[in-house]
Formats: sequence, C-alpha cells, structure tokens
Amino acid sequence: MMNIKRVISTIEKNYILSNLKKGERIDGRDLWQHRDWSVKSNVIASAEGSAEVSLGKTRVITGLKYDVGAPFPDLPNEGVCTFMAELLPLASPLFERGPPDEQSIELARVVDRGIRHADCVQTKKLCIKENAAVYILFVDIYVINYSGNLIDAGGISALTTLISSKIPEGIWENNEVTWTGKYLSGDTLVNELPIILTYGKIGDIIFLDPSLPEELVCDGNISISVTEDKITSIQKSGYATLSIKEIEMLGKKSMEIGKKIRKDLNLWQYKR
Amino acid sequence: MPLIIKDEYPEKLFREDGKRLDGRDKYELRPIKMEVGVLENADGSAYIEWGNNKIYAAVYGPREVHPHHLAKPDRGILRVFYRMATFSVFERKRPAPGRREKEVSMVITDCLEPVLFLELYPGTAFEVFINVMDADGGTRCACTTVAALALADAGVPMKSLVTAVAVGKIDGELITDLSGIEDKAGEADLPCAMTWFNEELSLLQFDGSMDLDEFSKYLSLAKDAISKIYEIQLDALKKKYIEIQEEYSGGEKK
Repeated sequence: MMNIKRVISTIEKNYILSNLKKGERIDGRDLWQHRDWSVKSNVIASAEGSAEVSLGKTRVITGLKYDVGAPFPDLPNEGVCTFMAELLPLASPLFERGPPDEQSIELARVVDRGIRHADCVQTKKLCIKENAAVYILFVDIYVINYSGNLIDAGGISALTTLISSKIPEGIWENNEVTWTGKYLSGDTLVNELPIILTYGKIGDIIFLDPSLPEELVCDGNISISVTEDKITSIQKSGYATLSIKEIEMLGKKSMEIGKKIRKDLNLWQYKR
Repeated sequence: MPLIIKDEYPEKLFREDGKRLDGRDKYELRPIKMEVGVLENADGSAYIEWGNNKIYAAVYGPREVHPHHLAKPDRGILRVFYRMATFSVFERKRPAPGRREKEVSMVITDCLEPVLFLELYPGTAFEVFINVMDADGGTRCACTTVAALALADAGVPMKSLVTAVAVGKIDGELITDLSGIEDKAGEADLPCAMTWFNEELSLLQFDGSMDLDEFSKYLSLAKDAISKIYEIQLDALKKKYIEIQEEYSGGEKK
C-alpha cells in the first residue's frame, strides 16, 4: 500500500546513511550488488518483441513495434531505432499524468545513448532500399511499478526486447516493399550488449543500484553504459559532484560488473 | 499468436467444423485470469488476462484533486484513465491519448460511479489508472471488470462489483465475447456491464443493426456470460485473503 513520499524523514535518512557508512545497505545488500533481477521475454503478443523486467520491486514492460519509412538524408542506408519511456501514473503516487516529464525523457535518452553508441543495433541491416525505405524501430518502455533505479531496469528490458524481436523481412521490388514471409531475428539486429549501471552518491559514499528510499536520500546519480571493453555513455544527474579519482574507479568497476551481469542474465537465451 | 504482416480479414469467421477462428464455440468465453494486489505502490490494483488482452489497473485515493477546480464540495469524484500501450495494437499507437481512449475512459467512469458511495468523500478524488499492455478485442469490458476489482482491492466502499462482457454477431450468428478480429470483421458488437447490487446495466453501447427479437437474445446471452465472469472476479478477490489466512493460520507464519 501507499506510503511513498517525495520527502523522506530525517530518521530514515540517518538510518540509511549510518548503514552505508558501515558498508551496509538497508535491504542487506553490499555496496556493489544489484537487487534481484527477473527477466521474461515475449510477453506481449501484439508487439514484434517484448520483455518484462523486474529489478527488486521496480518493474518495467517494454515492447517493440516497427514501421517502414524514409531514412534520414545524412544516413541514407541506415534504419532508425527510437526509444520512448513512459512513467505510468499507476506505477507510483509520485508520477503524474500528462506529456513526458524530465524524468521519463532522461530515462529514454540515457537508454538510447547507451545503446546507440555501442554498435548494438545494426542499423545498416535495417535498410531495405537506400534513400527510399528503411525500418524504423520503436522501443517503448513502460514503468509498471517504481521502486528506484529505472535506468538499469529500462536498459536491460530494452536489450531483451531487441534480442527477442522478430521483424518481417522486406525486400525492394518494383519500387515498393514486398514481404518475403521470413523474419529478421534478434541476432541479426543486435551485436554488442551494452549494460547500463547506475550508482548513487551520498556524501563520499558511492553504491550501485539505489533503491527508492536511497534514491530519495542521494545527492546524485551517475549512470555508465559499458560494452565488453568500452564505455559508451555516461550521465550524471542530481547535485552531487564526483572527483576524477571516483569516476575512474567507477569506470573500472562498471567493466567488472557489466561482465558479470552479461554472464548472469545471459540475454541471448531470449532470442526467438 | 502468429505474427502477421498485413491486417487481413478472413472471409469467414467460422471454421468448417462450426467453431470460431480461435476454436471456441459460439457462446464460449476466452480463458480469463484475474489477480488482485499486483502493484506494490497503489492503494489497490488488479491484473487481468482475458484471451490475449493483458491489462493492469491501479486505484489511488481518496486523494487531493488536481486541478483543484474539479473538486466538488459535497461529494468525491471518480476519474478513470484508460490508456493503451503503443505496442498493444497492430499498428503502433501514438503515445498521446487519442479520442477513443478519452471516450472509453468516460464510459468506464460512468459505469463504475453508481456502485461507489462518493458522497462520503467530499472534496477528494478516486483515480483509477487502467493500462492496456496487450489488446485483442473487448478491452473496454475487460477494463471495466478489472477496474471494479482494483477498487474493491483498495477497500473503497462499494455497493457491489461490476462485471462486463461484449456480445455480438458474426456471419449472421450471435456470439459471446468477441475477439479482436471478430470485432473488426463482424457485423455487430454490444458491450454491456452489470452492477450486481441492483442487477441492472450500467454500460451499454451498440454498433451494428438488430431487430427487437435479437436485442432480447443479445441481453440474455450477455447475462449468462456476465454471471460466469462474476464468479472468476469473486474468486480472484477472495484468493488474496485466503492466501493471507493460510499464511497466518494457527497464529504462526509458515
């Protein structure tokens, strides 16, 4: 039931802080541990690809739809992959109805940038005819329950959605798109798997995967996307400041944790 | 469900063996699964799987009304927001709510209001958010059913539950519970909902054409189907408390 507020009580804040200082979390995790992941794919029959991901009590459902349209003039032989996120008002009393607000745009943008710069979606394979017809993919992330750290959950669900997708294959014939009856599957569309990791910072303590109460106490967050050997995007939000040493440390940490998650979740198993 | 490239309608909506395209008999319902208390943060919530429909509903309230001028000094207000996910339909839906969604929201609001004691909550609002994640015909009926369940789960005083179903006509035959394709390619569609405290209809819409004989047949078909769905609804509501009871039976936690 509802007992979520925008402001957290001083006593709870102190409790979270004193625990973190000892290197402990209020839910018993250590500083560099995610809450439990659960990943399900192919949950929406109407979508070409879909996933339901929960990270602790945070839950998101993501679906993929496609369209065929004209490419951007500066990238005539590349398809387009867009990301949208909606924080549904049913997910939390903190979310309001209406057009996307800063938080949902940030979620979509951070997920988008992490994936875009990682050689993940093979946009060249999404071209049907140069200058005329390319696939436009819409990956839409819906938050069903909000309990902190939407970005990590959103990232994994977007990846799982892309991997589990099956898109009708079209070829260019007599100046129009004709469907071959075959499908493009996840292994054609996706190459690398960028994992997005979000850290919270309070004072000089940094920790992975802030839960909702921790997020409310945090001075700020930093999200880092990593592939096997590269960092592909960083987003710092909130009023916290980070020293260069801390950022370097987080870069290294992210590589390790990214590898572990890639192995643990084994997202390729969701290929259809 | 197989992926389709074109939204083609078959010529016949009955198979050779007299069954419908999805293998159902004329008056058979699709499989229905309901669950309450599925969303942690809401005051009350429910989830329904009705054939391929997958719908979440959450209730928040009684809480402050935004914008403030909508508040009524002598009674509470009920606001229902029916929204579809972009990927819930064949052609991607635009993310902003369309005219259809606003109409359906209003129809569901009007349908649920008679069972609530809104006069007990002056100046506040109950907000029901319904999100269709996957759609396959009959979403407004499924949404009404699941919204009533979510309100009950939130502990909002109610005169009774509300249950809805659609009946219609395909290839000249009356049928119960239209699927997406039957809704689009069929001849008639009559969604209706019953408020159980007075056993009257509080949602009624019709598209198609019918004579008066057929009208009574439609209504009696709907009544039969609604009674079956009501049982599932009640079971879902009780199940949550049976589970709590079992967990704590004998004063000790299992």
